[in-house]
Amino acid sequence: MVKTTNDDKKNASSKQTGNKKIKAKDIKGTLYKIWLYLAKEKGLLSFVLLMIVISSALSLLGPYLMGVTVDRLIEGWDTNRLLTMLLWLVLIYVLQSVAVFLQNYWMIGIAQNVVLSMRNQLFSHLQKLPVSFFQKRQHGELMSRLTNDMENVSRTLNSSVIQVVTSSLTVLGTIIVMFWLSPLLTILTLTIVPAMFAGLKWITNRTGQYFKEQQKTLGDINGYIEETLSGQKIVKMYSQEQRVIEEFERKNSALKKSSYWAQTYSGFIPKLMNMLNNVSFAVIVGVGGILALKGHISIGVIVIFTTYSRQFTRPLNDLANQFNMILSAVAGAERVFQIMDEKEEKNDESQAKDITSLEGDVRFDSVSFSYDQSVATLEEVSFHATPGQTVALVGPTGAGKTTIISLLSRFYEVEQGQGHIYIDGMDIKNITRDSLRKQMAFVLQDSVLFKTTVRENIRYGRLSATDDEVIFAAKGANAHDFIMKLPNGYDTILDSEGQGISHGQRQLLSIARAMLANPSLLILDEATSSIDTITEMKINEALQRLMKGRTSFVIAHRLNTIQNADLIIVLKNGKLIEKGTHDSLLKANGFYAGLVHSQQGKSTLA
Amino acid sequence: MRKLFSYVNTYKKAMWLALTLTGLELIVELFQPMIMAIIIDEGIIKGDLGTVYLWGGLLLGLSLIAFIAGIVNTFYASDVSQGVAHDMRRDLFRKIQQFTFKNFQSFPTSSLITRLTNDVTQIQNFLFMSLRIALRAPLFIFGSMIMAFFVNVKLALILLVVVPILLIIILWILKKGILLFQRVQKKLDTVNGVIRENLIGMRLIKAYTRGSHEEKRFFNFNKTLMADNKKALRMMELTMPILLFGMNLSMVFILWYGSVELNLGGAQAGEIVAILNYATKIMFAFTVFSFLMMNYSRAQASSTRIVEVLEENIDEQQETKIETFQNVNIQGSIEFDHVSFQYPSSDLPVLHNLSFTIKAGETVGILGETGSGKSSIFQLIPQLYHVTSGEILIDGMNIEKIDVKELRKQIGLVPQEAHLFSGTIQENIGWGKDHASLDDIVQAAKEAQIHDFILSLPDQYETRVGQRGVNLSGGQKQRLSIARALVRKPSILLLDDSTSALDAHTEASILKTLKSQKCTTLIIAQKISSVKEADHILLIHEGKLVGNGNHETLMKTSPYYQDIYYSQVKEEAGQIG
Repeated sequence: MVKTTNDDKKNASSKQTGNKKIKAKDIKGTLYKIWLYLAKEKGLLSFVLLMIVISSALSLLGPYLMGVTVDRLIEGWDTNRLLTMLLWLVLIYVLQSVAVFLQNYWMIGIAQNVVLSMRNQLFSHLQKLPVSFFQKRQHGELMSRLTNDMENVSRTLNSSVIQVVTSSLTVLGTIIVMFWLSPLLTILTLTIVPAMFAGLKWITNRTGQYFKEQQKTLGDINGYIEETLSGQKIVKMYSQEQRVIEEFERKNSALKKSSYWAQTYSGFIPKLMNMLNNVSFAVIVGVGGILALKGHISIGVIVIFTTYSRQFTRPLNDLANQFNMILSAVAGAERVFQIMDEKEEKNDESQAKDITSLEGDVRFDSVSFSYDQSVATLEEVSFHATPGQTVALVGPTGAGKTTIISLLSRFYEVEQGQGHIYIDGMDIKNITRDSLRKQMAFVLQDSVLFKTTVRENIRYGRLSATDDEVIFAAKGANAHDFIMKLPNGYDTILDSEGQGISHGQRQLLSIARAMLANPSLLILDEATSSIDTITEMKINEALQRLMKGRTSFVIAHRLNTIQNADLIIVLKNGKLIEKGTHDSLLKANGFYAGLVHSQQGKSTLA
Repeated sequence: MRKLFSYVNTYKKAMWLALTLTGLELIVELFQPMIMAIIIDEGIIKGDLGTVYLWGGLLLGLSLIAFIAGIVNTFYASDVSQGVAHDMRRDLFRKIQQFTFKNFQSFPTSSLITRLTNDVTQIQNFLFMSLRIALRAPLFIFGSMIMAFFVNVKLALILLVVVPILLIIILWILKKGILLFQRVQKKLDTVNGVIRENLIGMRLIKAYTRGSHEEKRFFNFNKTLMADNKKALRMMELTMPILLFGMNLSMVFILWYGSVELNLGGAQAGEIVAILNYATKIMFAFTVFSFLMMNYSRAQASSTRIVEVLEENIDEQQETKIETFQNVNIQGSIEFDHVSFQYPSSDLPVLHNLSFTIKAGETVGILGETGSGKSSIFQLIPQLYHVTSGEILIDGMNIEKIDVKELRKQIGLVPQEAHLFSGTIQENIGWGKDHASLDDIVQAAKEAQIHDFILSLPDQYETRVGQRGVNLSGGQKQRLSIARALVRKPSILLLDDSTSALDAHTEASILKTLKSQKCTTLIIAQKISSVKEADHILLIHEGKLVGNGNHETLMKTSPYYQDIYYSQVKEEAGQIG
């Protein structure tokens, strides 16, 4: 485990140097992508901008009028005029508050809508990614992108847009007024801008990296928590609490480290701005003093300027802070877009057709396949199953049985030049993936349950099924009896860990699910391995009924299922070594016959 | 929040340093206007460049000090907030590791994940922010009020009325905000849960082309999360316009009342201007304050959720047991004495009055229908659950009195579902034992008949396995999981239908190896062939023991066993792998 962390570190650091080169482009690209989401709310966004302009204008007008009133007060106004003025002021303040309220109200709406649609799209995209994508990823790490990384985006969008616009407006306005007063002093004031940029660049170069690092380690720790808690039973059983705590502690410290530096460097920004602000003041009074003595400018201008230079740096400070906030959002958004940029399951070929029914004629034409290029999982496998046949896949574990099924259901794609798979004479690449899978039903090795009622779990096989159909399918799979014994029958809520029902019962539920789906092609992947033989006999009956008239692919170790198959395909190390019926294979006296004989020897002993 | 303070307490020094440094910054900041005034009044206006340079230099010097103080403060504030976050995550994770299965039922995994990451982050953000600006806002508000009183008591009274009212409004909004944010975090749990379920079931979802159904489900939850988020954020953002309006209105009042007083001679124009100035300062401080409050409400909501986990009751009688047998060396005899059991969350009895004895070193098969309670027996032996009544004795000791860790150390359980972790194969097998050497691991892999397969992989024992072993076949996972149990060299080995995905040949070799081991072995199986060689077989039906004996005896005495046998013989002309 220590080794892994070191590797990760190496990866992280090499990534960091890599990032540095393309960083600016990255940020721009990511920001542009976020903008595309914001742009969808253009209408409301322009209202927000309008409100910002109004509230900014009013926030200047209010104090100005108040100043005027105070001046007039000293001159001595009559009460009526004073009251009218005060009423105007109240009106302005009411409007200002309303404008501020509206800009916030709408902006939150916009920001949360953006977050909603980003999250939705990310989720949708996950649904379209190929199975191979998920093999490399931890669940928790992906979850972190949908929650923690999105949270960063959300946090920034809520406030940054308003802040950036307000601050920019103020900076712009102040610069204009300052130029009007004295171009020379304005340029003097602006001398701090390059220093500011240099400082800001120094800081954000670092925060940008650390924000990324922080989100990555956060994802890492999320992944570790999820995985450990999923396997908590094993952790407890093997009393490995101390080990997982230590490993967690390592990840926790890594997170602390990156997060610490991200936060610290960000924290430098206001301090730096404050100091530059004072420097600028000193420069103005210093240089301005000399100029005033030489008679180039009036003293009044310097006095006014010192006020303005303060007004100039405050929004600049805000802008700098916002820039940093945006970097943290970018770090999150980048991880979101990273997934969105992952290639989806290969698009269906342009000539791909939807199919609405299948005869079930399946042909493998010298199909080869490898999961990771290095080792071939399948080599030149060819066979032909006619409609309604039951095909049994036989061979030692790891021979490639599951791979054949994954290729048939297009979880994985046969590469160009690695053979073809035909269904009803069509290359399966010419059939849309969804319509193909709709014609199939699966009972997979791991029976997956969702946290909902038993009824809904079965209905997953065909969402349009009525309650009666669900019960009928459950009866067919022999699950009805045990379901009725559950505390709330069909309305018992199951959880995804499947607590409360046994492994075998979970398999019964997934068989019921497949029964309900009523497919043309049926795929049973070691489906009955955890069911006791009495139950299995009942299920086999039902399965026989279900398999009748449908092409079925069965991976099983039980001889009776295999014996009755129309076609037995014997695989070893990815090669098809024998095929035929039970009888013909026995006659051939090859690998299969050997397997059967060795077993029969044991059986007679029984 | 009290719990939060106990965490901050660890970093007391850093915290006080951070606060002191903020104070220093603040003092410098308060002197700045004064110095600037001197530079302008004494220097520029009087044309005295010497004064400008002197005080200008002083200003620069002071701001340098403030800058340094600010930088150092940042380090300490980070120290505290990151330290607290780190410690909270550590304690949460430790606590969760002590959870019993009952505890897990009240906290779904997805919720625990949110609490450990998202909720902790909320607190960390709040802490960092408050250590840097917390002092400022209240000090500014308080200080400005006092100054206002010095200027003109009557006019300042207006502030004295308005400011507390605004504070009360803020507190009210804060209270609402905390509740709303708690709801947001709860919704986040649900969204997290849906994502997790989706990821776990990805293959099935694809197989049944239920992507769009899943999307609909997720979109719904995501939408309610968004709605709650909007509500909470908007509630908190309400503070800003209210504060602005309240302070602005009070300034209008000051103007009006000031004009009245001006006419009566109770106030001077300069005083009115000064008080208006202070009111403006208070307003700015308030906006910072409201920002802080927003973060506080989130942190408070999250901290409640964290404390919930930290204070969850653990009911497992741990090391604190009075009469514990420590350092027991278990021989491996097991006795069930009238054991009944039901899962804590349900009222359905699973095991009824079960009694049997297993001698050390025996191999015992357990047969029974799906759902008859076989696996529950295996949960009870390592005390993953406790018996409802009766006693389980190992080597004659009641297991309730054996230290749980000691007990489990001597048991190797291979569960039905071979749960692997992402990592290398070596790590996965070595997981079973602290500091397992490569030799131990290879030895266990050989016994589990998986060694040859591992050697055929490109990276052999260093080959990486995906989460839950996604890139391995069912049989390969089961064998790795068996190897993980064997590497412990357990005194008691529990195999819960863990050879179901293996071909008959491999299964037979594994069973043979197991027979030669010294440990007591319990095998749950579906096939009689898997347990036929066992010393005796326990026949379980609907949670009751209906037969106990070896194959031959049961064939003679148990009609139920005969049923199973004949049902299997028909198909069990053999097992084909």
